[in-house]
Amino acid sequence: MTDDRKPDEHLDLRGVRCPANSARALVRLQGMDAGQLLEILVDDGEPIAHVPEVLDDEGHRILSQVRTQGAWRLVVAVGG
Amino acid sequence: MATIYLDNASTTQPDARVLDAMAPYSAEQFGNAAATHAHGRTAAQAVEQARAGIARALSALPEEIVFCSGGTEANNFAILGTAWAAPPGKRHLVVSPIEHASILAPCAWLEQQGWHVTRLPVDSEGFVDPDDVRRALRPETVLVSVGQANNEIGTLQPIDAIAAVCAERCVPLHTDACQSFTRVAPVGADLVAVNGHKIHGPKGIGALRIRSGLRLEPLLRGGGQESGLRAGTLNTPGIVGLGCAAGLATADEALKIGKLRDDLAESILAGIDGARLNGPRVNRLCTNLNVCLSGCSGRRLVAALSRLGVSVSRGSACASGATQPSHVLTAIGLTAEDADSSLRLTLSKWTTADDIVTATSILRDAVRALRSLP
Repeated sequence: MTDDRKPDEHLDLRGVRCPANSARALVRLQGMDAGQLLEILVDDGEPIAHVPEVLDDEGHRILSQVRTQGAWRLVVAVGG
Repeated sequence: MATIYLDNASTTQPDARVLDAMAPYSAEQFGNAAATHAHGRTAAQAVEQARAGIARALSALPEEIVFCSGGTEANNFAILGTAWAAPPGKRHLVVSPIEHASILAPCAWLEQQGWHVTRLPVDSEGFVDPDDVRRALRPETVLVSVGQANNEIGTLQPIDAIAAVCAERCVPLHTDACQSFTRVAPVGADLVAVNGHKIHGPKGIGALRIRSGLRLEPLLRGGGQESGLRAGTLNTPGIVGLGCAAGLATADEALKIGKLRDDLAESILAGIDGARLNGPRVNRLCTNLNVCLSGCSGRRLVAALSRLGVSVSRGSACASGATQPSHVLTAIGLTAEDADSSLRLTLSKWTTADDIVTATSILRDAVRALRSLP
């Protein structure tokens, strides 16, 4: 999955454990408008398994999920 | 009998809206905020919502907020966490001498471990001069600690000017903002301690703002909560309460409290012979009044007022049982006798104009009665 649109906001959740990482992402997404893009950096392991699943459950769309150096870069579209 | 509470620097009555916000997290929403199932996720989201709100109130980033058990822990964490993370050879702290015991005690303990602590001078109103901070800094200084608002005499320090001095030398500044949180605009300190029960929130909850890039060693180690900086299951109800309380305060409220405080000061200083103000007339926390009533024992006055339905204190509740005179009042030049004759009266958003009139009248009578004792 890839997406070339420029994210509207960024959130670095590296070093933040589950479920605080997804909760922090949801709080940020609540403050954004539907359709805007949030770029999120999360750690490998449980966070990359957990965060996209929770955000998807809450109605947001994971547009891309790319491995970067030692972490993952997600681009999430705010749900309506 | 009157029931007037004027000890709000000690603790405040929780706001019903705060208690309502907290209640579900002590009942059906009881999940552990570190668990990844639905119960845990619900709690975690409440925690992160509160963290974001507190960050906004401090003009900080959410990831800079670490929750802990209260102001004392936040201050201990700032001092000891910074000291323990310092590189070898850097063992110097700078502190104001009128700080709360939760700052002075860890500094004194570090001194016993071989650290050097410079105690800054303060003037007769309790102000620290930023130039004195500049002169106190050394290459081995790891932290400066000056409280935003003094808990006994309400002095509002020139924190932004002190922060600028510290920034020039790349030394972090810690400020105890427990008294001033939500009442005074946020300041540019690197480490900021706040708590819940001074702002109509719950007891047992506090937070330390740690500016991004600073490294502190944790006081508590264990399950890695709070990004490894403060182990222990998160106090979700307390955190929700702190976040709610931080969001309720308004600038208008602070103005109203300040006006009532000025009325109280005027009526005491004009209406009671020999009454003198301790601390500044301007740049003073809106909730605080501290007066010297020469010829009266402060201990006896507190007891007499309590019997008449007025709750006040002599100073910090954390030292109110102490037999020594207040370290704050003696630092600004009061004699031990005058310090012993001083009262702290502190207001809140619920103090009324009637409270001020009644309390002044009761205080005037109590002072007269005590002064007439043989």
